Amino acid sequence: MPQPKLIAQAEASGARLPPLLVAATRVASTVAQGVHGRRRVGVGDTFWQYRPFVEGDAQTRIDWRRSARSDRLYVRDMEWEAAQTVCLWRDASPSMAWRSGKTLPEKRERAELLALALAALLFRAGEQVRAIGLPRTFSGRGGLASLAAALPLSSEGLPEPRRVPAHSQAVLFGDFLAPLSEIRACLEAFGALPVRLHLVQVLDPAEMSLPYEGRVRFIGLEQEGEALIPRVSGVRAEYASALDAQLTGLRSLCAAAGFSLSLHRTDHSPETALLALFMALDAGARRR
Amino acid sequence: MMFATPALLLALLLLPLLWWLLRATPPAPRLQRFPAMRLLAALRPREETPARTPWWLLALRLAAAALIIVGLAGPTLGGGGGKLPGRGPLLLLIDTGFAAGPDWPARLAAANSLLDQAERQSREVALLTTGAAILPLRAAAPQPAALLRPRVAALAPLPWGTDRRAAAAAITLLPVGPTAYIADGVAGPDDAAFAKAVQARGPVTELRGTLPARILSVTASPAGLTAHVAATPERAPRTEQIIGETGDGHALASAPVLLGAGATQAEARMSLPSELRNQLASLRLAKAPGAGSVFLLDEAARRRPVGVLIASGAETPLLGADFYVERALSPYAEIRHGDVATLLARPLSILVAPDRTLSGEDGDRVDAWVRQGGYLVRFAGPDMGAETQDLLPEKLLEGDRQLGGALSWSQPQHLAPFPSGPFAGLAVSDEVTVSRQVLAEPGVAQSGFEKAGQTWAKLRDGTPLVTAASHGAGEIVLFHVTANADWSNLPLSGLFVDMLRRIVQRAAGVAVADDGRPLPPAQSLDGFGVLGPPPPGAMALTATDLAGAVPGPTHPPGLYGLAQDRHAFNIGDHMKLSPAAAIPGATLQELNGASVIVPLGPALLALALLLLGADLLLTLRLRGLLRPAIAALLLAGFIPVAHAQSQGQSQSGPDASHESPALATHLAYVVTGDATVDSVSKSGLSGLSDYVNDHTAAVLASPAPVVPGHDDLSFYPLLYWPITAAAAAAPAFTSALNDYMRHGGIVLIDTRGGGADGAFAPGTDAALKRASAGLDVPTLSPLTNAHVLARAFYLLSEFPGRYEGATVWVQQDQDRSNDSVSPVIIGANDWAAAWATDEDGRPLFATIPGGPRQRLLAYRFGVNLVMYALTGNYKGDQVHVPAILQRLGQ
Repeated sequence: MPQPKLIAQAEASGARLPPLLVAATRVASTVAQGVHGRRRVGVGDTFWQYRPFVEGDAQTRIDWRRSARSDRLYVRDMEWEAAQTVCLWRDASPSMAWRSGKTLPEKRERAELLALALAALLFRAGEQVRAIGLPRTFSGRGGLASLAAALPLSSEGLPEPRRVPAHSQAVLFGDFLAPLSEIRACLEAFGALPVRLHLVQVLDPAEMSLPYEGRVRFIGLEQEGEALIPRVSGVRAEYASALDAQLTGLRSLCAAAGFSLSLHRTDHSPETALLALFMALDAGARRR
Repeated sequence: MMFATPALLLALLLLPLLWWLLRATPPAPRLQRFPAMRLLAALRPREETPARTPWWLLALRLAAAALIIVGLAGPTLGGGGGKLPGRGPLLLLIDTGFAAGPDWPARLAAANSLLDQAERQSREVALLTTGAAILPLRAAAPQPAALLRPRVAALAPLPWGTDRRAAAAAITLLPVGPTAYIADGVAGPDDAAFAKAVQARGPVTELRGTLPARILSVTASPAGLTAHVAATPERAPRTEQIIGETGDGHALASAPVLLGAGATQAEARMSLPSELRNQLASLRLAKAPGAGSVFLLDEAARRRPVGVLIASGAETPLLGADFYVERALSPYAEIRHGDVATLLARPLSILVAPDRTLSGEDGDRVDAWVRQGGYLVRFAGPDMGAETQDLLPEKLLEGDRQLGGALSWSQPQHLAPFPSGPFAGLAVSDEVTVSRQVLAEPGVAQSGFEKAGQTWAKLRDGTPLVTAASHGAGEIVLFHVTANADWSNLPLSGLFVDMLRRIVQRAAGVAVADDGRPLPPAQSLDGFGVLGPPPPGAMALTATDLAGAVPGPTHPPGLYGLAQDRHAFNIGDHMKLSPAAAIPGATLQELNGASVIVPLGPALLALALLLLGADLLLTLRLRGLLRPAIAALLLAGFIPVAHAQSQGQSQSGPDASHESPALATHLAYVVTGDATVDSVSKSGLSGLSDYVNDHTAAVLASPAPVVPGHDDLSFYPLLYWPITAAAAAAPAFTSALNDYMRHGGIVLIDTRGGGADGAFAPGTDAALKRASAGLDVPTLSPLTNAHVLARAFYLLSEFPGRYEGATVWVQQDQDRSNDSVSPVIIGANDWAAAWATDEDGRPLFATIPGGPRQRLLAYRFGVNLVMYALTGNYKGDQVHVPAILQRLGQ
């Protein structure tokens, strides 16, 4: 039986689903106009190319009209429109539920928005979407609401690559501020599977620039303890270098594993991030 | 500025230390939740100089600390002049005579501030009061000021004068030093010696009050009480208030007295009906609590009411029975004439019945009155003895006795000395003779009386002249001679006056004492003018001594004598007031200016508290916690304010519907240009509108002033037009009114003159003719109670306004096109004045001839008018129904 707290959380997040869905579809529709087809040969309806007939092709595939125009035999290739599966994960740990100012969304909200907007785009393109760790596959028009309801409300740490079908793509949304060793372990787990992984790091601008002054006691959100900084302005440079080290480490890990990484600040617009992500997904799909 | 504990100011030296401490302590950190904790935690080991508190916050805290230190050191502002002059102990010389009573608190405050000064300069103080005392005056020996404070606090003014000679003697016994003299400004006989003694001591400071010394004395006359105020001259005129009080302190009357600039005397007259006058126990000056401002009243100031029964021929001068009685009683009693019923209607001391029989209903009434405690004085006469003998102290023998005269051997008799009784002590004059008298059966009680009457006066041969018997709670006194000079010349003598006066006093319950008996003091005034038990040392006085004594410690002012016979002994009768000159060479000071000490400590501490509060708010802000704190404060503080505001919202705003008169129904009145008439119309119509709103289902708004020809009349169902003597017709005016009447309006024309040919408003009849020159007035007939207007709401048969009796005219024929409603109603009863009320709903004008019913009928007529205007001939239709029903029944 699900715990009452989770039910309450589920109801709370369900209550915000419609606005989230609306926002997601809006963002998706802003981006969707620039998407092209799969650009590869495969099963589909759209004409792709005429290629010469070689021994081994099925004879039923010969396009007689084109062949009649010339001496050779041609086979008509259609563009590949087979649905591919994309697995999504978004970080729902407590450290994501934070924002530095009232005008910014929480990091988790922005991650969810990006995830659902991506899912909306994928549904529109006919793909299938799964959530990492859940068996169900969502597709089609009602799939967005079901996916939004199925996303787990809280999670700990980094995902494990369970129930990720082979030859699919996976997108992870989170802030990835965990120790680099943990992230490396996770990426290695994903790298063992034939899965293309994309990471989207959502950070708050205050986390990147530490705009506080004076004597501040910082309190962690995941019971990590407290730190009393006597003068924040003196620490700022050092913090920036520490954060830079973390980001560089992450980038090198992804580059070594061949995964793509993009950084998104919550004060930037989600549409640009989504477009970049979609292009990365497309590139990942094509590179097979 | 002076400090009570200057040693505390040393703590100010600690302020730099506080500054250093506050500066070294870092401020409380701001709390911030942050997800990238791991990265921050890794940065911790590095040491940093902490952030500092901003300098202005430091300054605020230091200022608060400094204010607290200074405030706790007890600063005071003011506190009297500087150093005391001279060397040696200070003599505090206080006048404690009766003139110091009114501003005694200021004097005490000045004495206390002088003691403060002496204490601060550690001088010893000697204390001397100048009020007269039985024992010789002695100053308290010089001692530290703190020891004298309880004695000074216990000082009180004395209700008699000052004894400056004894004070001068006491001063010479003291060592040399400065003197502070709190003077009352009243001169005494030994002022020169006193001044010399004070000057010989050292530098003198004289403090004088700002109020003049006053004495109140009262003389009684038949017309009323006259109060005389004697005062020391002042530069500015003053108005004092004299209040007459009863024995238990209730004020019955007051009269203002104006003391002009530089005047020393003023008078005021207080006239009261005798019942109230006899209740007065004292007269006092308001707001001047002192023995000199109180004048106690005794029997001499009272006038008892005496009723004299009138009889035919009684007023004939020199021959009538009434004449001598009245002359004898009038100086000290109030005489009323009338018959039994009128006289007994008001409380009466004595009922005098000169030569009249009291029988029948009159007799019963008088009998009942006497039983309840009344006093009846009767005189004998030729008719007495023949009639019934009720209401006589003794059974009378038939006939009378003649003494002297042509047919008698005896001579007219003289009076014997009075036996003990009410007349005891009166000197018998040899001139009084009695030539004829009625005789009584000695020792035989009258029928219905418990015991025989007493003889109060008798002739030389022992026959009674005046007998009296108690009857119930009262007494009946009979003079066995007539009240005029027929039977004796007693009424012609002064003895008659005294005898009647004794009877009046006896009737008032006042037992007259022998003149030679000493009167002990019963109650005495204290220095503040309050009656209380006499002080020890007060001695008894005889009545003659009272007249000549001067109030002093052995004879305090107050009431002397036994309960029945109180004599008042007042300061005002026996002391004079003259202003005293200042002691030569003294520094003069005002009493009030010297003594105000303002403690600043609490103010400084409050300011420090405010600063600390501001510091709290600022710190919260710096820590980022200000918003929730302010939210909580606002919630706690502003909810009651908002609640009170919403409740206090005014219910009724100004009536703005005059802007658009179609929004509500208004009665209208024609603006005549005469401000009085217009205001009466307005208040009358608004009074009528309120009455209509209260009593009917119609809802009328406030009346609207209109100028026909200028304003649109079509909104108003009824137009009230009061005619003034200056009314004139104008074409636009007349055509507007015609238009209005033609389209169904009703004009009520009021000439306001009343029924008697318009006598109350002259000239309005002619003005009406002028003003209605072009009006289409139809044929008129008088309004009867058969008309619909008399039945529109109430059934009326008369239509009064402020006046009554004038005919009201309405249209004669029924005009079906106007719904049988009369477009014009003309009357002269001034209805607006009858309807007029002020804001509290009270009527403004009295109705003539008056009576509550007239105003009610005026309002009812107004309601009928309004209903007639609003509903037309609706009641005219219904009126037939009862008649039909009646006919069916027959």
